[in-house]
Amino acid sequence: MSEKTLGQQVEENLMKGRGISRRGLLKGGAALGLAGILAACGDDEGEGSQTTINPEDVPDDSPLRGTQGDEMQGKHVDMGLAALSGWPPSQIPVDLYPDFSAYTEANFGYTTAVTKTEAPFAELFQKIAPSLAAGSQEYNIMVSDSQWLGALVEPGWIISADEIIALNPELDIPVYSSLVVNTYQVYPDGSGQRWGFPQMPDTQGIFMRLDWLEDPEEQAAFEAQYGYALPTTFDEFEPWTMKQYEDVFEFFTRPDEGIYGVAMQYSKEYDFFSCAYHPYAYATGDIWNPETGEVVGILNTDAHAEALEYFVSLQKYQPPGAEAFGIGSMIDLFNNGQVFSALQWNAVGLFMQGAEGELEGKVLVAPHPKFEFADGSIDVIGAMGGQPWVINSYNDDDHMRCAIDFLKWWYTDETQTKFIEQGGLPWSDAGVNEPGFEDSSAYARAFKYMLGEGKSRDFWHLPEYAELLAIQQEAYNGYAAGQFSDPKRVLDYIAVKQQELLIENDRCDVPIPDELKDVTLA
Amino acid sequence: MAVATTTRNGRTIWYYITLWAVALLFFAPVVWILMTGFKETADILATPPKLIFQPSLDNFQRVLAESETIPYALNSLWLALGSVVVAVAVSFPAAYAFSRWKFPFTDFLMFLLLSTRMIPAAAAVIPVFQMFNAFGLRGRLGMFLLYTSFSIPFSVWILKGFIDGVSERFDETAIVSGASRLHVMMRVVLPQVKPGLIAAFIFNLIFAWNEYIFNFVLGSAETQTVPFGLSVNLLAAGGNVDWGFVAAMSSMYVVLPMVMIFFFQKYLLVGMTFGTVRGDV
Amino acid sequence: MATDTQIRVAPVQEPGAQKTAHGAGRFKLMGWGLLAPVLGFFLVLNVIPTFWLIGLGFYKYSLGRGTPQWRGIDNFTGIIESQEMWGAFGRTLRFMLVGVSIEVILGVALGFLFWGSVKMPGRRLALTLLFAPMVMAPVASGLFWKLIYEPTFGVINAIIQGLGGTKIDFLTSIDWALPAVLFVDIWMWTPFMILMTLAALGSVPAAELEAAEVDRLSFWNRLRHVILPHGKFILMLGVLLRTIDAFKTTDLIWTMTGGGPGNKTELIGVALYRQAFNSLDLGRASAVSLILLIIAIAFTSIYLYVLNLSKNR
Repeated sequence: MSEKTLGQQVEENLMKGRGISRRGLLKGGAALGLAGILAACGDDEGEGSQTTINPEDVPDDSPLRGTQGDEMQGKHVDMGLAALSGWPPSQIPVDLYPDFSAYTEANFGYTTAVTKTEAPFAELFQKIAPSLAAGSQEYNIMVSDSQWLGALVEPGWIISADEIIALNPELDIPVYSSLVVNTYQVYPDGSGQRWGFPQMPDTQGIFMRLDWLEDPEEQAAFEAQYGYALPTTFDEFEPWTMKQYEDVFEFFTRPDEGIYGVAMQYSKEYDFFSCAYHPYAYATGDIWNPETGEVVGILNTDAHAEALEYFVSLQKYQPPGAEAFGIGSMIDLFNNGQVFSALQWNAVGLFMQGAEGELEGKVLVAPHPKFEFADGSIDVIGAMGGQPWVINSYNDDDHMRCAIDFLKWWYTDETQTKFIEQGGLPWSDAGVNEPGFEDSSAYARAFKYMLGEGKSRDFWHLPEYAELLAIQQEAYNGYAAGQFSDPKRVLDYIAVKQQELLIENDRCDVPIPDELKDVTLA
Repeated sequence: MAVATTTRNGRTIWYYITLWAVALLFFAPVVWILMTGFKETADILATPPKLIFQPSLDNFQRVLAESETIPYALNSLWLALGSVVVAVAVSFPAAYAFSRWKFPFTDFLMFLLLSTRMIPAAAAVIPVFQMFNAFGLRGRLGMFLLYTSFSIPFSVWILKGFIDGVSERFDETAIVSGASRLHVMMRVVLPQVKPGLIAAFIFNLIFAWNEYIFNFVLGSAETQTVPFGLSVNLLAAGGNVDWGFVAAMSSMYVVLPMVMIFFFQKYLLVGMTFGTVRGDV
Repeated sequence: MATDTQIRVAPVQEPGAQKTAHGAGRFKLMGWGLLAPVLGFFLVLNVIPTFWLIGLGFYKYSLGRGTPQWRGIDNFTGIIESQEMWGAFGRTLRFMLVGVSIEVILGVALGFLFWGSVKMPGRRLALTLLFAPMVMAPVASGLFWKLIYEPTFGVINAIIQGLGGTKIDFLTSIDWALPAVLFVDIWMWTPFMILMTLAALGSVPAAELEAAEVDRLSFWNRLRHVILPHGKFILMLGVLLRTIDAFKTTDLIWTMTGGGPGNKTELIGVALYRQAFNSLDLGRASAVSLILLIIAIAFTSIYLYVLNLSKNR
């Protein structure tokens, strides 16, 4: 990776009109004046300086067009790729990279190799942020979790997807639903500005033990106890609400035998609790108002309090220690036969088939259970997961070209097919609608279902997402563990703290109502 | 090894048994980790947990097969081991200087050196990161220097204690006979403070060997050590913890410090007396 | 320092005095030269970052959200007014007091126990095994204790169930979480205190010990008049080091509970880590660090003062 000198990079950044944190950092306390001057041309501009792009304005040899002719002949480019550890969809690009190098050699005459840097979900952002803040091109192309978009866009660390798509129309691939665009590409929410390219889409499903469902003894016992037949197919389960599922959960909760009805994620870590709980919240309202930044009055409603209480009450069908359950726990518990079902991300569906694949063919995956909405209708709403690709805006020309070429190669049918074969999931109209996709795995149908228009949604993409998340994770988890006993008060606290945070960061003008100002958790 | 005299045989045996029991009690969780390393995946999460199982080398093989393992291990070696060696090498002359030249600020500086331990790592990372970035030090050289700085305070403390205990008469005698300062330091004093050197080395090595956060935040791809590797390889494909892998990797990783503690134990115990040892430790 | 039993001999000023170390200008230079590398490291990698940190504490600065802005003491007042911070401090204090006390008492007791065992077969091995908890990578330790504590898959609960009891959610129960983490801390660091105790005991002159035995001094008298005067320094150093480190405990908790359930194990180190790396709010994180540094310095000064007091008595 060719590193430019500090001077060169700063100059380049000045010309691109992006944020300069490096000089400011260096002087720190002393040269406030310098920092002030730099601030004027620095990243106070907000979401980067790209607006509408006219392809004609961009020079023909701009690296943002990818490699076009001979300019890369004979070169070798070492790319740095930042990805999530313990998340196979993140690993597949690295495994397939030699194919990419063959592709570039054949088409453009240069070879390339990749150095992968990875970190777990809760730490990858912390790894790439300081590097990006220093204007480094250590990570040329990165897998980002969907909620980090704002944090990456506002300081100008990543380049605009709109710009790239305008210059490279072949990257304008029709998506399956607006969920894809809104979750993986757009920031700010509702603005239509795209910054990321979908890498791995993800939705939620409920994984169940088909073999237990089909067992004739269980069938008989269930019917005897509840008066109706135990369902065994996707279509039978699809219309069910969470309350209806409770019967089945209850039926399979047998602590003496060491098995339980269900496992859900209540962990404080990262976003586990929130993503498990948000569907309940979305069904009974919203978690904030994106236009005004208000949270108070929206999050802390009585309906939400009930929903929260209900969500936590479901622990009665779950193994002990649920407050620490995360993605990994779902896998461990389900694979080891401790639970009948688990609420889990479809992206790890491949690994919910037994530690050595012994559960293959014995798993049924249905969409996230439905809820009764505020208006009385029964509908489904789930949380969105998944990751976009983002490209470092500090890449030098060679690396930028290579990055664009990479995207082009990544989205070829050949590569996408391989990706899906190895456990990836499709997000394009063509990919998701491909005949045979729904039967390709136990979870494909549920995945596709939840990716449909209006079926799932993501939460904030703001740069402050980590702090917003931390506030509610701690409060929610504490409530689940019994440290705080009043759900309404927990919601009040979260709403107030989050809104205060948003006010502090100029995202909200609405003041906190006096009666809630001093709310505490306990 | 001599056994106690016959008249107190019974009591002594119980005494020794008790000591061994205590040692084994503390070691038990480590045994659990070791065992997990030899278990197959299915056995690790068996309920109830298995004490008897079919051992397999799967996990160890996986760790060794993982392409990053050797680089991690090599990095740990030169970074942790190397930096401590250099730190001790640099601290010895400094400790000698402190001891012999009675600078007025000695006590103050010693206190300051100790105080460097007081800053939580998460905080210390911030300014160091910015500094390193500014000067392009985030590669091997920077990390090496940083690790070295970790080991200096303790080394200076221990070595000064030992050197203080070496009478200055030795120095004077040698100098009067025409020896240079350097000679005095290296040939006369150094041999007498060997326990201190080794204790400083081992004690700091333990810390440097397991250092994680600076490596994670500040390090680049070429400086990743095993603790870093542990934390990123923590998760199996799918996002659950790869217990077997972690167990195998950490078991192998702990061998070096344990071996050092075993072979250099006497020095470690003597060394921690900061130079005041008189009797058997 | 630890040389109060040494009698310092003042150098005799002979005609060849310029060859001795003290005061002679030419050789003082050498002293500085020997000191230089350490001073260099210290200045660049300790002093400068510390001042930087102090400075940063007065700014509002989040990574990637604009250039630093002066905030005066807002960060500090924010911390003092923050209920969460006080909660974290309180928890950390309790953790530290209980943890260090038990570690010291247990460590010293076990140290005494091991002291007389020089002739024990396999002593070296036993001590090596004893020190293993300190040496195991904290990430691994934390992770495996998490498994050990786990209700469904863990050993402890399996044993409890086997004995007929009900399972305990160690790390997710609001009553058990902090004690459970404390227990692991004690497991990890008591060996350190054992090591320090052995060293402290080893620093007692054998002659005096024999004299005490000959005089048939009781255990307590031996302790007060022979052992403590010599071993005090090292013991206190051990306690001090342990106190400071306990105060900073982060990794263990982060791995085992992430500060949860709720905020039951959210110690100040964890809160700091969250500030610095989740929120990337470097200004606030620096301010917290500064406060911690001041507290640590205060502790150290008190310890050293007490130590000196008793030394000079």
